[in-house]
Amino acid sequence: MSSVKESARAAASVAGKSGDTILSVNDIVVEFPRGGKSGFRAINGVSFDLRQGETLGLVGESGSGKSMTALSLLSIVPLPGRIIQGSISLRGERIDNLPVNELRKIRGKRIGMVFQDPMTGLNPVRSIGGQLTESVLRHQNVTKAEAEEIAFKALDDVGIPSARDRLKGYPHELSGGLRQRVMIALALINHPDVIIADEATTSLDATIQAQILDVFRVRLSKATLIMITHDLGVAAEICDRIAVMYAGRIVELGTISEVLTNPKHPYTVGLLSAVPRFDVRRPKLVPIPGTPPTAEDIVRGCPFAPRCRHAQSKCEERPPLEIVDGRQVACWFPRGSNAA
Amino acid sequence: MTDLAKDAKPVAAATPPGATVRASTAAADVQTIPVWQNISNVLGRRLIELLVLLVFVSSTLFFLLRFTGDPAAVLAGETGDQEQLELIRKQYGLDKPLPVQYGIFLIKMVQLDFGKSFANAQDALGLVFERLPTSFTLVLIAFTANLCTSIPMGAWLGSRPDKTGRKLASTFVFVAQGIPGYITGLLLIQLFAVELRWLPSIGNQGPQSWIMPAITLASFQAPQVIRVISANVAEAMREDYIRTARANGAGFSTLLWRHALKNAMLGATALIGAQVSFLLGGSVITEVIFAWPGLGRLLVTSVQTLDFPVVQAAVFMIAVFVYLAIMITDFVFLLIDPRLRRQRA
Repeated sequence: MSSVKESARAAASVAGKSGDTILSVNDIVVEFPRGGKSGFRAINGVSFDLRQGETLGLVGESGSGKSMTALSLLSIVPLPGRIIQGSISLRGERIDNLPVNELRKIRGKRIGMVFQDPMTGLNPVRSIGGQLTESVLRHQNVTKAEAEEIAFKALDDVGIPSARDRLKGYPHELSGGLRQRVMIALALINHPDVIIADEATTSLDATIQAQILDVFRVRLSKATLIMITHDLGVAAEICDRIAVMYAGRIVELGTISEVLTNPKHPYTVGLLSAVPRFDVRRPKLVPIPGTPPTAEDIVRGCPFAPRCRHAQSKCEERPPLEIVDGRQVACWFPRGSNAA
Repeated sequence: MTDLAKDAKPVAAATPPGATVRASTAAADVQTIPVWQNISNVLGRRLIELLVLLVFVSSTLFFLLRFTGDPAAVLAGETGDQEQLELIRKQYGLDKPLPVQYGIFLIKMVQLDFGKSFANAQDALGLVFERLPTSFTLVLIAFTANLCTSIPMGAWLGSRPDKTGRKLASTFVFVAQGIPGYITGLLLIQLFAVELRWLPSIGNQGPQSWIMPAITLASFQAPQVIRVISANVAEAMREDYIRTARANGAGFSTLLWRHALKNAMLGATALIGAQVSFLLGGSVITEVIFAWPGLGRLLVTSVQTLDFPVVQAAVFMIAVFVYLAIMITDFVFLLIDPRLRRQRA
């Protein structure tokens, strides 16, 4: 299966497209104000670049800021949270400080988003066709009939059987897997530059999850994609690069093979030792001790230090995201390198 | 695309067991049947229910009325002697044993014959039908006024419930809900009829006289609907499908009117249906306050004079209309919520 992806990538690099930066996120901070005290920073200085045709995985445990990063890209962070610092650029134009009317032209048109729960993500009392054409008519200058044709093609493209009849149907008539295909069709319908999939396979059972992953692998092989997941297996299958998030920060960012086979950040190391594997004989799973900092905790220095076996007094200072062995790591003492 | 076309078929087949199987076979060959067919299915069942209801209501009323007093005594007046009473009882069939009276009543009811009014010897059902247009005028105006204020108001309050202005408005609505209709009615009469002399205070004298009774009725029904709609809109606006629509560039008004409100109306429909039933049942107090020649006032006067046939006919018609209102509410549910429509395999 991954050969499809690789050949697509090869084709892309022959065309000379690969490597252009599409999306550039620079040091964004999302803060939720708290009465009196300093605000809670759900994202605390996240930066990454997304290149044409690549798939970037954002992994981390619940509350690490993966979804918040995705929402901030569209400026739909739930109130009262807001982006208080940093910049987001799409093809070189800043999109984080646009007025709402301009932002709406980006949402669903230049950045498409697939959400986690297909059971609740579609409006139960509106027809599938109605919800798809609404987005088409908003962003494309077409007639209603043309929009319906576009909606039909979008459903057909993501492998929904008898797509023509489905347009008149309602979400409750579809299974979870088919609903998630509808959600993907909705995200793709206006041919966005970037697609964000936020835990798009998490709520599905294993066989359906595999089918949806196939949709991403086959249909979206050339797409520029951000795949948010807490499942390292999913990330390994789909992604070119991976960013590991912890407590609202990226702690390690590199190519998928580098990060998974030779993790540098102690958190990544811990995360990988906590994943069950069937190909390697291992005495037992090793959990990471402790819990991530909550909104109440005041984090100084490295947020992982309280749980880190290798923490030293230097870890009371915040480690910058620096290049170590060809990938970025935010750790004073990266594992397996000379510095350690 | 070609890969996907091949991959498309097995999708339904490869679904694991359990609930998803039903859903994905549904994807293959189940079609939602048209709304009208759902409605006609429901209709048949409903008609039988209506017949049972009418017999039950009329029978209960028949016996309850017999306990309230002796209509012959009312008709004969204070001067009536025993002989006159007997004569009157014989004339209206009140001398027969109760079970016989009941039997006769049931047989005549099936023919929609409720007898003649004790008071003026007119056909009882005819008297009721005379009052229907006046009553319906009021019901329709009050209902329209109710919806026209409560839907926009509820949507407005529910869309941003945390804003200061809307918090104040919500408090006002909450208080308004507690004001009984007769207080509003009397205040309106005092202000617009007595002080300002803009509107007539009694009777049905054309559109001008519709205003105050309609406002009175709407004023205590609308706050209930506003509160339900605003709570439902507020909840709907937090749903995932709103986030999805927002992520696709939907503006605030689209989110509110096209996505949230339809879901919010699901909860409000039951309440609105119950309110219409209440209005049809004779908005008795309001009709009395405004001396409105409607069904409610007819019912009150007939009960006071023990005019059994008119009471029976009026309650019978009210039961029919209340039932119709409930049925229409059910159909509105089918129209709004596709999940309630039955599917054909």
